Amino acid sequence: MAEEQESTLLLPPSTAPEAEVPAEVSPETATPEPPSSAAVSPGTEEPVGDTKKKIDILLKAVGDTPIMKTKKWAVERTRTIQGLIDFIKKFLKLVASEQLFIYVNQSFAPSPDQEVGTLYECFGSDGKLVLHYCKSQAWG
Amino acid sequence: MTDDKDVLRDVWFGRIPTCFTLYQDEITEREAEPYYLLLPRVSYLTLVTDKVKKHFQKVMRQEDISEIWFEYEGTPLKWHYPIGLLFDLLASSSALPWNITVHFKSFPEKDLLHCPSKDVIEAHFMSCVKEADALKHKSQVINEMQKKDHKQLWMGLQNDRFDQFWAINRKLMEYPAEENGFRYIPFRIYQTTTERPFIQKLFRPVSTDGQLHTLGDLLKEVCPSAVAPEVPVPEVCSWLPTWLLASSAEGSHLPSLWRDWE
Repeated sequence: MAEEQESTLLLPPSTAPEAEVPAEVSPETATPEPPSSAAVSPGTEEPVGDTKKKIDILLKAVGDTPIMKTKKWAVERTRTIQGLIDFIKKFLKLVASEQLFIYVNQSFAPSPDQEVGTLYECFGSDGKLVLHYCKSQAWG
Repeated sequence: MTDDKDVLRDVWFGRIPTCFTLYQDEITEREAEPYYLLLPRVSYLTLVTDKVKKHFQKVMRQEDISEIWFEYEGTPLKWHYPIGLLFDLLASSSALPWNITVHFKSFPEKDLLHCPSKDVIEAHFMSCVKEADALKHKSQVINEMQKKDHKQLWMGLQNDRFDQFWAINRKLMEYPAEENGFRYIPFRIYQTTTERPFIQKLFRPVSTDGQLHTLGDLLKEVCPSAVAPEVPVPEVCSWLPTWLLASSAEGSHLPSLWRDWE
């Protein structure tokens, strides 16, 4: 993952999700309802191609946890939280035995096997997913 | 919500008769008898199998024992998935009892999370509750609760205490009178037919013209392959509002919808 990230550093917002997020009315959708109906996140089931597209993640340090020099990353949707934790630990040169916790909405710590794409769908805003990271448990 | 109490109780007290057998390659000092247990659907494997662990460890040497893990027909069972979900996904079409194999060696690192203590289960459970409330109430209700309320929720689950659990959970099921429901319905759809772990998306309980969304609406929107024309959508879809399902299925933590057209 480290190699991937270094080559996709600093995608400016304008080239990111707006182009990648499917239009609200997806031709595959079975329901004739207008796009402003049920789902706020656009589209129905994502076509396979979308799982390859990356989402923007903004990493914020909590407390006295070291701050990443690069905070904004384009990450594949299927990357897991554990994958992200391993990456941050490597980037910050933390020892393997040191713990790192990741929080969404400054309120819950997603399961290590959770995919960032799903978190982005449900908790992303302004085209990015903000994640706080901390060496100790910040929000329980 | 009082009318739904029967449904809530049925969901809470759902049980799966299970037979635990020790994996044949485990080293034992004498024959290990299978162990039978009724598993609560709403709980987690590592929370309710202390007796299973003790039973098999009695016939093993300490040096042959490391972290316990469970498997069904070759598939490692994720302890962080509710028991009912695991059963419905993997074994619902097989005859009862559910036959689970117990291992104490060769922990499958790629498939399973470690579960070193009950604290890990509690943290996972509370995180699920918090994630659900983030969707339902922008985390306002869960954040306004005291630490002891969070603890009561967990203890209710751990000790199988319906009233203790729901005394707190009912607050997570409320919404302001002026709203028609939660902000978004917390749901996850698991399917055996796909590589994806589950489907989870934003979904409002009410449409823009004020109609209550049903389970059928939800499935059509987020999982259209599940409602292909040749597969009849169960009758329940046409009238059961999604918020009711969200309330009754597995309490306030993310209810999991799993397919069962039978």
